[in-house]
Amino acid sequence: MVDFVQGPLITIAFIIFILGILFQLIQFFRLTRKKEWGRLPIAYEMKPEKKTPEKILASCLASLNGTLWKTDPVLTVATSVFHVLLILTPLFLLGHNILLDQSCGWSLFSFPEPLSDGLTLIVLLCGVYFLGRRILLAKVRAITTIYDYVVWLIAVAPFLTGFFAYHQWFHYETVMLVHILSGEIMLITIPFTKLGHMLFFFLYRFFIGGEYSFLRGSRTW
Amino acid sequence: MNQTIPNQETKKVDTKKIKSLLNRRKGKMKRFLSYCAHCSLCAESCFLYMKYKKDPKYMPSYKVINSLGKLYKKRGNVDWKFLNEIKGIVWKNCVLCGRCYCPIGIHVPSMIAFARTIVRSQEVYPQLDEASPESWL
Repeated sequence: MVDFVQGPLITIAFIIFILGILFQLIQFFRLTRKKEWGRLPIAYEMKPEKKTPEKILASCLASLNGTLWKTDPVLTVATSVFHVLLILTPLFLLGHNILLDQSCGWSLFSFPEPLSDGLTLIVLLCGVYFLGRRILLAKVRAITTIYDYVVWLIAVAPFLTGFFAYHQWFHYETVMLVHILSGEIMLITIPFTKLGHMLFFFLYRFFIGGEYSFLRGSRTW
Repeated sequence: MNQTIPNQETKKVDTKKIKSLLNRRKGKMKRFLSYCAHCSLCAESCFLYMKYKKDPKYMPSYKVINSLGKLYKKRGNVDWKFLNEIKGIVWKNCVLCGRCYCPIGIHVPSMIAFARTIVRSQEVYPQLDEASPESWL
């Protein structure tokens, strides 16, 4: 069991993750089609006006007023930091890169260990904030089910166990095993659960044309 | 499951039709439903939610989960009672103004509109008759 979790299951998890993401990508392009008017006709396009740095800054600040920043600034910061660190922290963790180097012969740049430790703590604090919000706010509680708590646990568990393992709290071998297993569960579940918003955020907000898309959006349902 | 309620006793719920409608847009709608993070960040973008003292039942996500979400969960095997329950959600609690904002990019209005299509296929919609108990019109 231990050997399986620390050996073949890692490869299996990565394969399921990559194939799952590919499957979802293919399905997305099958379900959507190219927009007829990817761009507005030239005649209707506005001429770009000369932009000074002050104008750009002012328009950026003004556009923030129409976003969640104005509705809930704490959550906006927490969710942005959480999602960025969720990707960056494990990618540039020294321990992970040493393992990568040993198994593949190459590795990524690594953050200093105290920095990775601090970033993990930030991820965990954001996780606690999300959990508190889910329990305490009526609007979030109204649509919360057990499934949401399970998904929260899947997302937070690798960081919590990683934090414990780094500080060698509790029984190290057991904590490491749970850490590896939780990471594998996370990878396997991403394409098939609501964690899939990792991929679909980019597809929906960048590819699908609409009022809230970040780019013009070249596709439509 | 075909059931009747007194005022619609002559008709039965055509679950076959509901199932075929649900299947027609399954790919898109089920993805929207399954990738909803249940974050409730769409709440404040709904003017009805703000108007009704932030009552969660007016949140776009709540409306979608409890109408179209339940239709998919039950795989179309629904009865009149259920259709009449979601009737209020899709016809009264949402006006399809299209202002709801989802950070992930889920298009809520299309889901409510689709739920309306399904309940309308069973002739469940607000009656314009003055004697009707549906006083919201």
